[in-house]
Amino acid sequence: MLKFILRRVVMMIPQLFILSVLVFLLAKAMPGDALTGQLANNPKMDAKTLMEMREKFGLNDPFYVQYARWIKNLLHGDLGLSYIHQQPVTDLLAGRMGNTILLSACILVLTYLIAVPLGVVSGRWQDSWADKLIVGYSYVSFATPLFIFALIMLFVFGFQLGWFPTGGSVDIQIEKGTFDYYINKMNHLLLPSLSGALISTVGIIQYLRSEIIDTKLKDFVKTARAKGVPESRIYSRHILRNSFLPIAAFLGYEITGLIGGSVFLESIFSYPGIGQLFLQSIMQRDYSVVTALVMISGLATLIGTLLSDIILSAVDPRIRIE
Amino acid sequence: MEFLKINHLKVYYPIRGGFFRRVNDYVRAVDDISFELRSGETYGLVGESGCGKTTTGRTVIGLIKATAGEILLEGKDIAKLSSREFSRYRRDIQMIFQDPYSSLNPKKRVLDIIAEPLRNFERLSPQEEKRKVQYFVEKVGLHADSIYKYPHEFSGGQRQRIGIARALTLNPKLIIADEPVSALDVSVQAQVLNFMKEIQKEFQLTYLFISHDLGIIRHMCDRIGIMYRGQFVEEGTSEEIFNNPQHIYTKRLISAIPNADPQKRKEQLALRKQVEEEYTNSFHQYFNHDGKAYRLKRISETHSVAIL
Amino acid sequence: MKTELNHSQQTEIQIEKSPSSLSILWREVVKDKLALVSMILLALILLVVYGSAIFLDQEKIVKVDLLSIYAPPSSEHWLGTDYGGRDIFGQLIIGARNSFTIGLAITLISCLIGLIVGLVAGYYGGVIDNIIMRVIDFILVLPFLMLVIVFVAIVPKYNVFTFILIMSAFLWTGKARLIRAKTLAERELDYVSASKTLGTPDWKIISREILPNLSSIIIVNLTLNLAGNIGIESGLSYLGFGLPESTPSLGTLVSYATNPDVLQNKWWVWLPASLLILVMMLCINFIGQALKRAADARQRLG
Repeated sequence: MLKFILRRVVMMIPQLFILSVLVFLLAKAMPGDALTGQLANNPKMDAKTLMEMREKFGLNDPFYVQYARWIKNLLHGDLGLSYIHQQPVTDLLAGRMGNTILLSACILVLTYLIAVPLGVVSGRWQDSWADKLIVGYSYVSFATPLFIFALIMLFVFGFQLGWFPTGGSVDIQIEKGTFDYYINKMNHLLLPSLSGALISTVGIIQYLRSEIIDTKLKDFVKTARAKGVPESRIYSRHILRNSFLPIAAFLGYEITGLIGGSVFLESIFSYPGIGQLFLQSIMQRDYSVVTALVMISGLATLIGTLLSDIILSAVDPRIRIE
Repeated sequence: MEFLKINHLKVYYPIRGGFFRRVNDYVRAVDDISFELRSGETYGLVGESGCGKTTTGRTVIGLIKATAGEILLEGKDIAKLSSREFSRYRRDIQMIFQDPYSSLNPKKRVLDIIAEPLRNFERLSPQEEKRKVQYFVEKVGLHADSIYKYPHEFSGGQRQRIGIARALTLNPKLIIADEPVSALDVSVQAQVLNFMKEIQKEFQLTYLFISHDLGIIRHMCDRIGIMYRGQFVEEGTSEEIFNNPQHIYTKRLISAIPNADPQKRKEQLALRKQVEEEYTNSFHQYFNHDGKAYRLKRISETHSVAIL
Repeated sequence: MKTELNHSQQTEIQIEKSPSSLSILWREVVKDKLALVSMILLALILLVVYGSAIFLDQEKIVKVDLLSIYAPPSSEHWLGTDYGGRDIFGQLIIGARNSFTIGLAITLISCLIGLIVGLVAGYYGGVIDNIIMRVIDFILVLPFLMLVIVFVAIVPKYNVFTFILIMSAFLWTGKARLIRAKTLAERELDYVSASKTLGTPDWKIISREILPNLSSIIIVNLTLNLAGNIGIESGLSYLGFGLPESTPSLGTLVSYATNPDVLQNKWWVWLPASLLILVMMLCINFIGQALKRAADARQRLG
């Protein structure tokens, strides 16, 4: 087991390296650099001082020297300077990151809260009307694109019915830290996270359903039933215990989807997270922010996949044998 | 000169382990075997499952690369040829597969299945090709119209005949039959086997016949090699193996053949007990401390056995 | 024990497989009421979209008419007009045509790449397979959406073709993985060994022997991917990083809804396009799911 984890971690190193090179190359390929931005803000700077500045910041160094410096800064937590906001990218991110993590966590919790009961019902009472309804729902939600669904949710529940706030992460007039503040924040979160959760349940529902249906027919379940174990206990002790563990492990794989989803959700609900920041930065050509965000998202996905792989292999030893 | 001569053939698979997936050890699927086939005979390879008989057959036909050793086909070593060079000898060696279901592509008509080798080696017009395929289809006892059908429309025995027809189209000299009837009902096994004997005469074929079923081997083979854990333990003519087995493993195999005659049930049981006793008492006479067999020793012109 | 079991299962499936799997797929889909309705509906939509796109005058549609800005639906403008007074219905038709065509192009290109890579990796195995799988694993953990947006933003001379290429560059991986796994299983079957002993060259074994046996999986996957790709394309266009402005997409129409006033009060601008995307994706998905059930013999409706 330990060997598997070690090998898996070691396998991640080249991936990290390639990811960093890729992001670095992208950063270099983006038109303009940190100084061109300053040039725009400061018309007094002439070509000569620009050349001197370039030299000073090492922008004329060979490619690999620049890469090494970039990595070194990255490891020290220095992600560069945003020239639109005129502040370090790390500071800029700090405020936004919390919001996005909160939103993602809400989506995950809601997804599991909705999907697990539905999956269990659907698998246990296979072919009942409830099962048909749930399968129907999972097909429809699988086919629905997030941005359309979120827009319609916003249109119906935000604007037409007025049940939820239609944007932002919290009302400005409310004092920070009070009880009302948190309630208000939750209220702002509910519609975006519900929109995200309702259409990402399909994987878990389908997994649970087929897993339960399969396990239901296994001999050890039949034996338990023959021994007279009550039906509810068969499910809680024998079937669900086997099916639940891998589901917990799927968490890490969700991260790719969550990052993509946050871009859409935050843009639609004008929610101040990193997804929204990413779109703004790319439109304003604030590339140091873009680079940092891509790098962080890549890192998050890599770590998420790593964790999921490890948990899954702990649950199911067959995976360890490659 | 022998038709086919196998010299010190070895097929090893690496076992990897540890953090860096280094090669720790080898699975010795075929561990230094030598035997020869004479033109026109049927040579039987017998042994329990996993003893390396199928690996041997597949190595001879080039599906598996030999780790070491020579495979001499009419004096020419084909073991070390690249697949490109090997194609010249392709036509001479063909194979009949064990599973008549997976060995025929379900998406192809019988015509396309049997014509596949022809299309690879001969330039024939569609009419000639069709005539040739029909000839072979009728030869194996199927109706000429069946060339437009798909494999799933045939029974297992018929499918195996299609497989045989496919192997025959190139006029091979050697056919490797890997458990050709073990997937078939007992009722059709004899049909297919007798048919194989007929075409052997007609097309002057040499068979390398691989089976775990001693009854079938006795019915089919002129000479027999008994394999155990990748090695030969005994080799001889059919007569010698069945009437005068020397190695304890051969004796055990033969004593295990079921006897249909209920009158002789007691004798059979006594024989088995006696063999079992001999096995426990004289194990080290036949196997070394690793449980491997010793080198083959010649005890007559045609008969060899692996004893100390 | 386990492997033996798998083997017997494999042979069973092998027996189930029949030559005319395409006709079986068709029969199963037609038997599925929902899929049949979806198919008819999709065919109608495509017929209307591609049919009327021929007669529509694109110049006239994109022409700004300041006298009828945000006009609600009327007999002249069936679905009203946008902020430039442009006819929504016309834009809907053009957008649907563009979205579908480009979704299809992305699907076909990524499928072709995935198919070739997957077949090669699965058939040859060994080092080639190892390298390819590492690459695929890597691409799969990249933040897909963000990278596509970055590429779209920085590619010089950005147009429809670069968009298709960027998308395909990421999307072939899933397909390649699937095809590789299936090829790996197929390769172990004796008909492949038989072809080798009959002197059939590798490329021919891959294309003539193995490929036909993967046809139903490919069709199922193609259908489901088509729906997904139309969704991704319109989503990116919604964000402003999809099709270039010269090629309006359904997502472009939906993106007018980023203006809260449009979202709240001028539903005719964005809702029809949203619903059209939804309906198309539902139809294609239902057809795909039916195909999937049909390809998996155990789930057939009988």
